[in-house]
Order: sequence, then C-alpha cells, then structure tokens
Amino acid sequence: MAQQDVKPTRSELINLKKKIKLSESGHKLLKMKRDGLILEFFKILNEARNVRTELDAAFAKSTEKINLASAVNGMVAVRSTAFTAKESPEIQLSGHNIMGVVVPKISSTGVRKSLYERGYGIIGTNSYIDETADAYEDLVEKIITAAELETTMKRLLDEIEKTKRRVNALEFKVIPELIATMKFIRFALEEMERENTFRLKRVKARMRD
Amino acid sequence: MPLLENLWGKKPSRKSDKKKKGSSNYAYAVTRVRAMKSKLLPKESYPRLLNMGIDEITRFIQESEYKNDVDELAMKYSGGDLAEHALNRNLALTYDKLVRITTGELNYLVVAYLKRYDIWNIKTLLRGKLYNASVEDILESLIAAGEFTYTSMSELAAKATYQEVIEGLKYTEYYPLLQKFDGTNLAYIENELDKMYYAGLFEAIGKPRSKDRKLFTKVVKLEVDVKNLINLFRLKKAGVVQLDEIMPLMIEGGLELKTEKLASLQYDEFVNELQRTQYWDAISGVTGSDMASLNTLESRLTRYYLESSTILSHVSPITVVPILDYIIHKNNEATNLRIIFRGKETGLSDELIKDQLVII
Repeated sequence: MAQQDVKPTRSELINLKKKIKLSESGHKLLKMKRDGLILEFFKILNEARNVRTELDAAFAKSTEKINLASAVNGMVAVRSTAFTAKESPEIQLSGHNIMGVVVPKISSTGVRKSLYERGYGIIGTNSYIDETADAYEDLVEKIITAAELETTMKRLLDEIEKTKRRVNALEFKVIPELIATMKFIRFALEEMERENTFRLKRVKARMRD
Repeated sequence: MPLLENLWGKKPSRKSDKKKKGSSNYAYAVTRVRAMKSKLLPKESYPRLLNMGIDEITRFIQESEYKNDVDELAMKYSGGDLAEHALNRNLALTYDKLVRITTGELNYLVVAYLKRYDIWNIKTLLRGKLYNASVEDILESLIAAGEFTYTSMSELAAKATYQEVIEGLKYTEYYPLLQKFDGTNLAYIENELDKMYYAGLFEAIGKPRSKDRKLFTKVVKLEVDVKNLINLFRLKKAGVVQLDEIMPLMIEGGLELKTEKLASLQYDEFVNELQRTQYWDAISGVTGSDMASLNTLESRLTRYYLESSTILSHVSPITVVPILDYIIHKNNEATNLRIIFRGKETGLSDELIKDQLVII
C-alpha cells in the first residue's frame, strides 16, 4: 500500500490496525499450516521412498519374467497369450483432505486375477506365463500405490510452496508496509494536531492584539 | 465352393488320410530322420554359445542349418525377432519335410502329432480376432508347422471377426467345438482344443497292438503325464483346490499319474504321493511348498521327458518313435537357441539362461 495514497485519518488508522491484526493472525496460521504440511510431507516421503523402491524391484522382476517367458515360449507365444487379457483393471479416483489440500485416493479393482480369470487356457500355457502375469499384476498394484503417494507429495509440495510464499509476503511485505503506513498516518495525525494547536495559539494571539 | 473347403475338404486332407492303410516307408523315413537328427546341435555347442555375445550367436545361427531361414527373413526382421522367426520357419519347414518323406500310416501318425501346431494357430486366430489384434500381428504369431497351410491361415487372419474365422473352419474337425465359442469363454475353448488334440492323437494311434504303436503311445502318454503334472503344480500353487475345478484341466490318457487322486490331495500329501512315481527323481528337491517359481521344476520335467523319449527311440529303431523323438529334439533345439538368444539380448544372467536350457 503506497503511503501517499492513504488519507491520514483516524478511521483509516483504525482500519489499518484491524488489517495488521488480521494479517498477523493470518501469518501465524499460515506458518502453522506450512509447518503442518511439511510434517505431513516428510511422513509421506518415507512411505513414497519405500514404495518407489518396491516399484523398482517389481519392475525389474516383471521385466525379467517377461524376458524369461519370451525366451522359453518365444515372443510369438507371449504376444499371442497377451491377446487374451480381456479385462483391464479399473481405477477409481476420489479425494481426501490434508490441511485443506485435496489429494487423490486411488483404488483399483481387477488388478489381481486368479489363474481362471486371466483368459488364457491353462493346458496350453506354462508356469513362465503365469509368473509373468503375476509379476505384472504386482507391478500394476505398485504403480497405483506410487501414483497416489507421488501425486499427494506433488500436491503437498505445491501447497507448501504457495503457503511459504504467502507467509513470506505477509512477513516481509504486507505487514511491514501496513506498519509503515500506520506510522505515517500516526505521524500525519500528530502533525495535524500540532498544526492545529499552533494555529489556535496564533488565532488566540491575534485576538489578544 | 469356398476356398477353404477346397483346401481342406470334409476333413483335413493330406496323403495321410488317403494312405492310412497303405504301405509305410519306415526304413527310409527313419534313415532320413537319423541323418537329420545328426545335424542337430551337439550338447557341447551350448556352453560355447553361452559364452558368446549376441553378434557371435547371430553369426553362429547364420552359419548353421538355419542359414536359409535367416537369409530369407533378414529383410523383414532384425535382432532377436529375426532369430525367433528364423527358428520358427525352420521348424515349420522341417516338420513339413517329415510329412513329405513319410507315407502310409507313418505319415498319418506324424501328421496327427503335428496337429498341435494347428491347435496353436486356431488359438492365436481366435485370440487375435477377439481382442482386435492387427492382421500383421496375428500373421507374425502363426506357426505353419501343422496341417493348415500358411495361405489358408492368412486368409483366416484377414477375416474381420472371430465368428467369420470359425465359419472359415467349418470343414475341419474343430468346428463343433468352436461353435461353442461365444466371445467370453476363450479359456474353456483353448483347454478343450488342447484336450481334443490329445484325444485325436490317441484315436489316430488306435488300440496299440504292435510294438511300434505301443512305444508311440508310451511317449505320448508320458507327455500327457508331464503336462498334467506341471499343471497340477501350477493349480496347487495358485490355490485351486476344488476337484471340479481341477479335473476339467487334466488331459486324459496319461501313463502313470492318477490325476483325480492327486488333484484331491493337499500339497504335502500330493508331493508324498509323487514320490511313488517315476517322475520323483527328476523333481525331488524342487517341490517345496515355499518355492517361489515353478520354472526349474518345469525344465526338469521337460528334460526327463526328452531323455525318456530318446531311450524309447533306441528300444525300437525302425518305428515311428525315432521320428517323434526327432520332432521333440528339434523343437527343443529351437527352444534352447531362442532361450540363449533372447536371454542374451534382454540381459538375463548366464546362470539363469543355463537353468532354463534342456540339454540332452
């Protein structure tokens, strides 16, 4: 708020005092929110780190299994068997609230399938195909968990960043400016009071003359 | 008359059907097959191949029996795909040669055995059409080593829907079963096709009276046992315990295994029961209930089956068994080469590759 735009009046001073009080309580709340979000973030970070490690391991395992299945049965057989994957897993997205931040909750159905539900005949296939399907089902599950956690982390990070900017803006810009303006108005009012007193003294002196 | 009817007639028609009761050329065919078997890679080649890099293996394959196949397909494919398609092409041509050099009932038996590739191709066509795979993808997945010609299969692959594919197979023995396919029961149809193949093979062998037929039956029955045993392990591992769920997945006509009894047992009892069978020596040590993978068990049983078929082929040299033995060993050679090539290409460890090889 530029000082020259402010009318140095008492009502403006009262308004400014209210604004400063509000900003200070806002600043305090935002700081608490930021700290809370950081705590939540670190809690999820550990979980996400574990899930990411598990995801990497599941990816390595499923890659090895499909390579093994392709080597033993031939790529042709694996591709042909893969045609039978008739039902894609379904993903349901909902949201939940962490300190005002809406983060996704991802649930899935139809990822894990029994030997019967996979769609290929049991007699004409072998354990290499089963183990590849198992490994990929595990991988899809891990991807879903990792997607939920990593999106949550991203949203939390965005919110922390936003909150931090607000806290800083209040702390280093808004509140100091309001205080400066308040000082300016207070000074201007005092100045006006002194001028009035001086003016009254002059009027009184003239009347005496 | 539709083209496919022309091609196949009322039943798949090859000289085998016409000459079922004609004279068989056992001595000639077995001699040719023995010569062909001598060209299979000796077991000493595999450790050498395991120590080679991909380029060296490619060169090795190019300089072997697979040269023509590699040259033929080199324009279209490269790397692992080239090797795999070359192996499949070679397999198809080799089996076609076997069909050509055999006559009479010998030919009939060989054709009946090779019908497994027709089953494979029908399954691939149905899978592809049901899930809208491209014609190119389907064609790449077909192996023309059975009775159906590549041309007839290409024609089927070009059909728009699976219903049209089934109509295209109207004049084959598979049609009555395929008519039951409603688009949702593919696994059932696939299982029934496999069972139909073995039932048809046993029917082709007939009641084994001669030593020749008895040996042939024994090899097929052994294969059925090995398949059933692997599938029992798979089902037990997947937690399938209901007898009425397991039994429809068992192939009838095995050599030794009492599938119904084995299917009804808990895992520990099931393993105990297996100790009384000829397969125990092959699988002991890899049957723990906590085993993470069935791969080792499967490759050990395959090795046992190959060894047994080789022994049986020596028992009676001028029969169909040496030809069957060659078919199995040729297939195993193609599988071994593919395992090494694909394994190396995808960075699998040498130890893991070696574990999957069945070297006889």
